Amino acid sequence: MMPFRLPHVGTGAVLPDMAAPRPAGSFLPPRPSRNSQAGRISIPALVVLLAIAIAIPLIPYQMTVSNYVVLMFMQAVTYAIAVLGMVVVLGYTGQINLAQAAFFGIGAYGVALGMLSGGLNFWISLALGVAGATAAGLALGLTTIRLGGHYLAMITISFQQIFDLVLVNWVDVTHGPDGIAGITRPSLFGISLADDKAYLLFCSVVLYVLVFAVWKLPDTRLGRAMRAVRENQLAAEVVGVHTLRTKVTAFSLSALLGAIGGGLYAGGFAYISPDNFNFARSIEFLTATLLGGAQSPFGGVIGTVLIVQLPEWLKLLPESLRFIKDVYLAVYGLGVILIIIFLSEGIWGLVKTIRTRLFAEQTTTDTTGIPALTLESAGSHDGPLLRVDNLQKHFGGLKAVDGIGIDVERGTVHALIGPNGSGKTTSLNVMSGIYEPTGGKVIFEGEDVSRLRPHQRASRGIGRTFQNIRLFAALSALENVMIGAQRSNNPIAPGEGALRERAMSALQFVGLADRAHVIVRNLPYGHQRLVEIARVLAGNPKLLLLDEPAAGLNQTEKMAFVELLKRLRGHGLTIFLIDHDMGLVEKISDRITVLNFGRKIAEGTPAEVLRNPDVIAAYLGTAGKVN
Amino acid sequence: MRLRQAFVTAVCGVAGVVAVFGAPARAEDTIKIGLVNEATGPNAEAGVFTVNGAKLALDEINAAGGVLGRKLELKLEDNQSTNPGTVLAFSKLLGEPGIVAIIGPIRSTQIQAASPTIAKAGIPTMIGGTDPSLTKVNNRWVFRGRPNDSYSSRVIADFGINELKSRKWAIIHSTDAFGAGGMNVLTAALKNAGITPVLVQGYTNNSQDFTPVVLAVKKSGADIIGSYMTNSPDVGIFAKQLRQLGVNAQWIGSPSLVSVTAMNLAGPALHGIYSVADFTPDASAESKAYTKRYRDTYKIDPDVYSSWAYDAMKVLALAISNAKATTPDAIRKGIVGIKGYKGVEGEYAFDDNGDGLRGYNVVKNDAGKVAFIKHINFKE
Amino acid sequence: MQVLFDNLQVLFQGLALGSIYSLVALGFVLIIRATNVVNFAQGDFAMLGAYSMVLFFTGLGWPYWVSFVGALAAMAVFGVIFNYGVYYPLRHRSFLPVVISTLGASIFLQNTVLAVFGPQPRPLEKVLAADGVNIGGVFLDSQYLVILAVTLALVLFTYLFFEHTLLGKKLQATSQDKDMARLLGIPVALMISITFIYSAVLGGIAGVLVGPILFVSIGMGSIIALKAFAATIIGGFGDVTGAIVGGLLLGVIESMAAYHISVPYKDAYAFLALFIFLLFRPSGIFGEKVSEKA
Repeated sequence: MMPFRLPHVGTGAVLPDMAAPRPAGSFLPPRPSRNSQAGRISIPALVVLLAIAIAIPLIPYQMTVSNYVVLMFMQAVTYAIAVLGMVVVLGYTGQINLAQAAFFGIGAYGVALGMLSGGLNFWISLALGVAGATAAGLALGLTTIRLGGHYLAMITISFQQIFDLVLVNWVDVTHGPDGIAGITRPSLFGISLADDKAYLLFCSVVLYVLVFAVWKLPDTRLGRAMRAVRENQLAAEVVGVHTLRTKVTAFSLSALLGAIGGGLYAGGFAYISPDNFNFARSIEFLTATLLGGAQSPFGGVIGTVLIVQLPEWLKLLPESLRFIKDVYLAVYGLGVILIIIFLSEGIWGLVKTIRTRLFAEQTTTDTTGIPALTLESAGSHDGPLLRVDNLQKHFGGLKAVDGIGIDVERGTVHALIGPNGSGKTTSLNVMSGIYEPTGGKVIFEGEDVSRLRPHQRASRGIGRTFQNIRLFAALSALENVMIGAQRSNNPIAPGEGALRERAMSALQFVGLADRAHVIVRNLPYGHQRLVEIARVLAGNPKLLLLDEPAAGLNQTEKMAFVELLKRLRGHGLTIFLIDHDMGLVEKISDRITVLNFGRKIAEGTPAEVLRNPDVIAAYLGTAGKVN
Repeated sequence: MRLRQAFVTAVCGVAGVVAVFGAPARAEDTIKIGLVNEATGPNAEAGVFTVNGAKLALDEINAAGGVLGRKLELKLEDNQSTNPGTVLAFSKLLGEPGIVAIIGPIRSTQIQAASPTIAKAGIPTMIGGTDPSLTKVNNRWVFRGRPNDSYSSRVIADFGINELKSRKWAIIHSTDAFGAGGMNVLTAALKNAGITPVLVQGYTNNSQDFTPVVLAVKKSGADIIGSYMTNSPDVGIFAKQLRQLGVNAQWIGSPSLVSVTAMNLAGPALHGIYSVADFTPDASAESKAYTKRYRDTYKIDPDVYSSWAYDAMKVLALAISNAKATTPDAIRKGIVGIKGYKGVEGEYAFDDNGDGLRGYNVVKNDAGKVAFIKHINFKE
Repeated sequence: MQVLFDNLQVLFQGLALGSIYSLVALGFVLIIRATNVVNFAQGDFAMLGAYSMVLFFTGLGWPYWVSFVGALAAMAVFGVIFNYGVYYPLRHRSFLPVVISTLGASIFLQNTVLAVFGPQPRPLEKVLAADGVNIGGVFLDSQYLVILAVTLALVLFTYLFFEHTLLGKKLQATSQDKDMARLLGIPVALMISITFIYSAVLGGIAGVLVGPILFVSIGMGSIIALKAFAATIIGGFGDVTGAIVGGLLLGVIESMAAYHISVPYKDAYAFLALFIFLLFRPSGIFGEKVSEKA
């Protein structure tokens, strides 16, 4: 009845979110220049944090504090562990999760039911709960195969609601709304944790260990992959990140952390009931994460403490301001909006910004001793490196690519040209795996890769850049390039050191090694182009697909770029590129293929092709008007 | 330089934490009673009533000279209408020096959550939750200021069978703790009279549509509905649909049927139904007098949230005064020693478990007004 | 025979509830189309509409229809405030901050209304004096008949408005491609404001109409909104027809499953239906193939 729909699928030349002003996964607003890596903390800050961290759980040992304060801490500590899960999934990976309370609940019920119904000891029950939650997280993560964004919000809400209904209604197993009382605390290495103080100390140690792990995560392969997914999922996939596995891992980790927090909570409070684990609690975890700062475990902990303490502080208000207490949940809601608008990285983000302003940081990097870039593009296969055979890509009735065949020979620079809308970018998207072909085959080194996902093609040595630059905007140039270097099957030595060295070499090759630690969104446009190329090169591609690589470059930059391409060809790299600048194409191409209306109309050396009357007609715009 | 800066900051941080949590104790001349109430959260309104009731009793006691020559003082603690909040609220009150007894919340799950904390601290606590098991979980410090649900179900069964002459029962209950618990005790009470209900049907709170429930009642051919429903809007929707679909069975249920909200929402659809109620304004001389005082003080009508707290405060004062001491053991002895005290909710006679009341009023919705029918009391 | 009547009764009830989901879902879809964002406070639009009605009709004693119009006017104003307070400052950011911002708005609205009106649910007058009609043992509640009729009328109006008026076409252009619309001289910010106004008014109508049946309470909107959101996904994300059909379908699935399988799990059926759709047909009934945005 109503034809108006969301424009989900772009037409041939345009990728889905070409028009979006910022990458869809990015959580960050534009902000002042900053060069630190995620999670890097200066020594004084570390000393402060450590001092406070060690002091807090020891307070009950040093002086008499009421049981109430101890329970308050216990709540904060166990909640904080669950919030760490939110940091991983929301802050690092950019995936919304509105079911963290359900994971928290699975851990808690695992402990309660395991001990009281199953007669198991605390640790085994905890392990079972954590395993159950991780499995649930895995299943939820798998739904991101095809669905992201809003769907994910809805799926996680649904999961949360169903979990709540099951807890309340499946009385035989869960004890229903009455909840479960009489959960006891365990011993560890023969030391009883039954005492409040000892148990709190134990939970704090668990929290600190997990904070440390989550703090270190961003600078691992997995952590970088997560942040790449957050910043630009399509680019991440194309440079070789298994985005689905990364998201599933993030969800599983989030569930795992949630369940650990929940299990410890059950032990701490000895009684649990379904209303501890409902949607409102999930929102509370979300708010704590955002308030403190989603991108750092320290932010998560700060946020949790504030959320747990907030009602207490409101009680201290003088009588004349008591009305605030009545509306504190409203204030809370307003706070969420204000934080999102004005403090998008939370309190921790604010702290970091202030620190950056106070202590200027290095903007240049020492470039001595970087080994030269090597490209291992040799292959055992004879024949064309890439063969495109009768390739078709249709969007509904639109035949964007309609049966083209191209052979890209090893070691050549092959250009694809044609007027706007002739199907160039679509062809490139099908070659790199962003689109599945409607018909025909893409054969790389004799292997049919037509149905492989982009990251699988990247693992075989197909690399690409985008017409509109797709970098991981909030990451440093070095991190961007390291993500390119960590594609599977990249023939470099294992380990972080080798990755870093490889990335530095690639940056050196494009002339940006001294800018390695600059956040890429702060780099000028021309440099961003170069970082994108360095990112591909770090992955040792056999075939480089470039989509209008010179677009937006000024004349000087273009000249430099041509030199770069020539150097690459000198290394024996095979390059397939699209560009509009005929001068550039003519200068560097060995072979040119011309498309018009999704069909190949000419192919040959630059001299042959540019004399071809059909090509001239196509460019003058008369070809389309025949018949 | 940086290190020194860090050290100073660290010291300040630790000192701050210490300052917040290490508040000094000070002795006072009053007898302090704690009150855990629902000041914020979804049940905030009930919380206000509870405080009103307790304060009214407190003022009366203090106006009459206090207890053991000392004035009573009320210490309020919000539980945010949640279970963990209740545990925290109890812990906080228990940590304050000088509190001799606590008036706890009215919701059974909250008491269940806090029960281990209360037991560990060993402080006499008056509770309003009506789940029968609360006083039977090896916790000698909880005392119930309301009749428990085994009595409400016995009253429902007794009145339905003997007065309304109905033997085909349909039990309708919400699936939360209160509803499920009520369903169990009502089934048991009916079984004692040799009756198996023709229908037992649960529903989740905040259902938007009761058609399947109503059709099930219709199909079962029940001539009486016994209900344990938690939320007033559910009562309203169910009542309306029941009448729309032509079910004319008798109906007697837990107090929510005659809550002001349910009657307001359902209007005529609830006319003629019966309910049990532990507080009814014109059930006795005591409740009549209380209703007048409450109305004069707060300009609104009292309800069960206030009346039980009023009684709880009076019971505590009486117990302390009888025991002539404020130690937990003395107060416990004082409470258990109360036999035949006439409160606004009925006549208190505490047993060793800590249950003080054994009867309910039966009331009727008489064209929109709650009419007192009779009080049914059990010996045990 | 009785079985048939009972089933018809449940079916009617399901369609009636479903049409409420549809009405709220329609408001959802319009905002999704205009801003590409799901408004998690959509249910609270219904709640606010209903409370405005309580204020004007019950509180101030205005005549029914004056109160009705007053409530809708209040919602229109609120739509503008919502746009500028919750969406507009974040318009250049990705969907996640906006979604969280609307979640915050939802918490804020519910608790503000709680502070003003208190937690007691309120009754509301039906549109028609008659309680309903009984046709051969099947009772048709007059309010539900009104809701079905109004939903149909609004769907028709929305269709005509978008397809056959200039303003409607401008709104469509805005929802399809903001940059292009801007180039064509369409005031995009104004169009988005209008969308929020229309969506808020739709929500308000849903609230006022559903108030007499479900009563006016703080949480009335949240339950409906979750189902309505599920309906938009089942129908096809961002598809107007899909929202309507999805809402009706969901209402029927829920009622039928509650009647034939188990009452306490009633709310779970909606979410199960959603899961099944997401697994096997994530594009919904009317949606195009889902392509993930990178």
